[in-house]
Amino acid sequence: MAELSLKHIYKVYPNGTKAVNDFNMEIADKEFIVFVGPSGCGKSTTLRMIAGLEDITAGELKIGENVVNDMEPKDRDIAMVFQNYALYPHMTVFENIAFGLRLRRVPDIMRDKNGNRVLDKNGKEIPVMRKYSHKEINDKVTEAAEILGITEYLGKKPKEMSGGQRQRVSLGRAIVREPKVMLLDEPLSNLDAKLRTQMRSEIAKLHAKLQTTFIYVTHDQIEAMTMGTRIVVMKDGFVQQIDSPKNLYNYPGNKFVAGFIGTPQMNFFEGTLLKRGEEVDINFEYSDAKITVPYSMMYKAKPSYLNGKSKVYIGLRAEHVSINPEVVKASKTKIKVRVSHKEDLGNQTLVYGDINMQGDGYTESSTRIIINADGNVDFKAGDVVDAALDISKVHLFDKETEVSILPRIPEFNYIDCSVKEGKITFLGTELNIPPAINCADGKYELLIPTDAISLGGKDAVVTVADCEEINGKYVISFELGERRMFAVSDEAVKKGKANINMDLKKISLIQNGETAVEAMPELIKFEGKLIKNKVVDSVEVNGVMKKKKVVKFFLEIEDCVLPCSDAIALKLISAMGVKKAFNEKLIYECTPYDLTFAEDGISAEAECVQNYGREKFAVCKVGEKTAYVYCNGEVSGAVKLLPDVEKLSIIQAAHNIRII
Amino acid sequence: MTKKFRSKKGAERTANAAIYIILTIISIVWLLPFCYLLIQSLRGETGSSTLYFWPKEWTFNNYIKLFTDTSIYNFPRWYGTTLLISIVVTVIQSMITLITSYALSRLRFKMRKPLMNLMLVLGMFPGFMSMTAVYFILKLVGLTQNMGLVGLILVYVASSCMGYYISKGFFDTIPKSLDEAARIDGASRQVVFFKIILPLAKPIIIYTVLTAFMAPWGEYMFASLIANGSQENFNVAVGLWQMLQRETKQQYFTRFCAASVLISIPITVLFFCLQRYYVQGVTGGSVKG
Repeated sequence: MAELSLKHIYKVYPNGTKAVNDFNMEIADKEFIVFVGPSGCGKSTTLRMIAGLEDITAGELKIGENVVNDMEPKDRDIAMVFQNYALYPHMTVFENIAFGLRLRRVPDIMRDKNGNRVLDKNGKEIPVMRKYSHKEINDKVTEAAEILGITEYLGKKPKEMSGGQRQRVSLGRAIVREPKVMLLDEPLSNLDAKLRTQMRSEIAKLHAKLQTTFIYVTHDQIEAMTMGTRIVVMKDGFVQQIDSPKNLYNYPGNKFVAGFIGTPQMNFFEGTLLKRGEEVDINFEYSDAKITVPYSMMYKAKPSYLNGKSKVYIGLRAEHVSINPEVVKASKTKIKVRVSHKEDLGNQTLVYGDINMQGDGYTESSTRIIINADGNVDFKAGDVVDAALDISKVHLFDKETEVSILPRIPEFNYIDCSVKEGKITFLGTELNIPPAINCADGKYELLIPTDAISLGGKDAVVTVADCEEINGKYVISFELGERRMFAVSDEAVKKGKANINMDLKKISLIQNGETAVEAMPELIKFEGKLIKNKVVDSVEVNGVMKKKKVVKFFLEIEDCVLPCSDAIALKLISAMGVKKAFNEKLIYECTPYDLTFAEDGISAEAECVQNYGREKFAVCKVGEKTAYVYCNGEVSGAVKLLPDVEKLSIIQAAHNIRII
Repeated sequence: MTKKFRSKKGAERTANAAIYIILTIISIVWLLPFCYLLIQSLRGETGSSTLYFWPKEWTFNNYIKLFTDTSIYNFPRWYGTTLLISIVVTVIQSMITLITSYALSRLRFKMRKPLMNLMLVLGMFPGFMSMTAVYFILKLVGLTQNMGLVGLILVYVASSCMGYYISKGFFDTIPKSLDEAARIDGASRQVVFFKIILPLAKPIIIYTVLTAFMAPWGEYMFASLIANGSQENFNVAVGLWQMLQRETKQQYFTRFCAASVLISIPITVLFFCLQRYYVQGVTGGSVKG
């Protein structure tokens, strides 16, 4: 019964293989979390790091209130069920379950032989740790055995039992200790299909009964979808997406998740998108198919993909393609499909075809299509039919990065605007351009990041149409003029009229495909390394203050050396090893607000002060790099920049590991 | 067309017959010396060798005299000393070997592989290479002659962990998930080793115990060196060799044979006690194979 927090967790093996990359997650109490992914994706490694069976290379793992990075497994108060059961073969089932209880100590108060309390001088109870009594162990084991229905096997040895029964014993061994967190590492993989389905519902039942946090590792997407309250999809050591089963199915974040979740697999076509006014053309590669949809369906799409050149994957699930004549008749978005064969599954029929008239429909290609046709279908191989595509359910992914370009939390609003005499006009709104933004009059395309818009202020009056909670953030969609726009906020907003504020330092202006005005970078990067030095300091030794040499840690940031807390240094050393920590290059990141002008610091050359209206930023050159510093006065010439060491995030340059 | 073929059963029978004949010959070759020894030990007439096989006079006198006539050769003392050394060495050496091999099998630390290789290579050099050095060191700290017992135990136990190789191989076959399950259940490394791994490692414990016992039981070189002529501190091997010197051979040969028979007893007993664990696998049912 505890919440877990994983922050920037990495696992790097001594040979440099990265098994887990930057794993971040907050797990609430009583959640049922499933890690899913193909083998070798790092899901088991993550689980074993939580269990304490593998060292954590970098990052912070909390169970409840405690940071447990360096805690022994036995002290973490967790229980684990292994894929291969790992029962102690020389012990009976009873002994197997009781083993953990026999080793355990429970807090109690001191008692004499008759069980009466023994009090100390002040009349208080004396706390002691005691073993479980014989009767307690007996009761607990019997109770666990009853829950799992293995009471009659308690006297048997593991080898006399079947796989399903053994896994029950293994579960019993875990639940009898009433752990804070239950970890299950592919517990059903060794069972046959029927037993697996049965155990699946039993584990779900167990979770409901025990009210404990469960973390479950599997490679089976059906297990993941049916059991988890939230699912973590992993691949090659990277977390692909963390979401509820339904959201994973409806809003996959990238092509891998889209293809991994759901059977039959999602159809993927290659194609391009072209925005023509308020319409978008979807052109399919390797085929003559082409459909046109209103731009309103693509508002969330990243604008750079709507140019008709960037290649995208068009993903559509089998159930969102229809060959039902009535649906096809009513649909405006249809394509021709050459049917190759079908699979009759009883309640549904999967029709296989190809949108390329030369394609064979058998091999998985970017023109093959699977259609879920309910009811009877009467087609011969080679027939060409019309199929209606439900474009409201379409998923679009970048061809290179495979990341969704229709994200649930959109990154940008993309609108036309015009600049004239120091004013920017879009959708009937006129704003003064701050002096920092420097552009000629004319027509531009305006990119407003969704996090640049906040409520309150006086920049524009809008109508909030919807407010949707996604992973702890609120996506607000509102109408400005005739257009739908999006903003991201940390708080919920009521529907209706509202005032918005626009952070103009984050906008960019694009003219003829070229960026005319760039947004101010949000993070400034510096380089350097960790240094230790012996410093004479006054230290308290046995109550007396003495001058003594002590090791202190410093961060070298560009050309300045700043003292840093032991906590930061220890994190770096534990993550990188003693030798590397002092030799390898580090990259520091900070925001413009964490830098101040000071007497001592990174030497820089202040070039000018950018005025963004409400805020001013000094542009400083540090070597080749440009640093923005929040300031309100005027600065020029040589300056020293002092970063806030506690707020720096630090990255190991060689492996690109975010340590802090 | 019918093809003539050899009956499979017939072929098997011929092969089996051949194998049994070979095995019989081998066992005769192996058993003959021991039978000869046994028979000689029961011979009444003295003399080192006779021209006949069966003794003319049967007697148990040789055995009795070994324990009663202790004025020249104190056989009971040698026997006791050797037994004591062997038992102490067995206990210490088995423990060290098993612990070392478990550590090398389970723990991952820097220089683990080089250490294992080094130990393997060092183990290949015969122990007597360091004999003189060891002798002088022991003499320096006074662990020779009358204190030879302690010195010998030290010498025998010293290189115990070099014998890690076979038991490490066995520990490697015990699934690691057992250790992990136990550690999560709240066991420390020691508890895991003693309560989970050792009960499953019976065959290899027996092997380790047997080899650990046998080595000091018949060892000659170090024992002879460290006793340095002090008859009281001989072990059986050194002592019995005294009986076979040119001057004493005629008189003591049959007694020597009797002693040899007695020496084989503890090992035989130990083996028969332990052999049922030797074959029996105990890991069944622990993990899915």
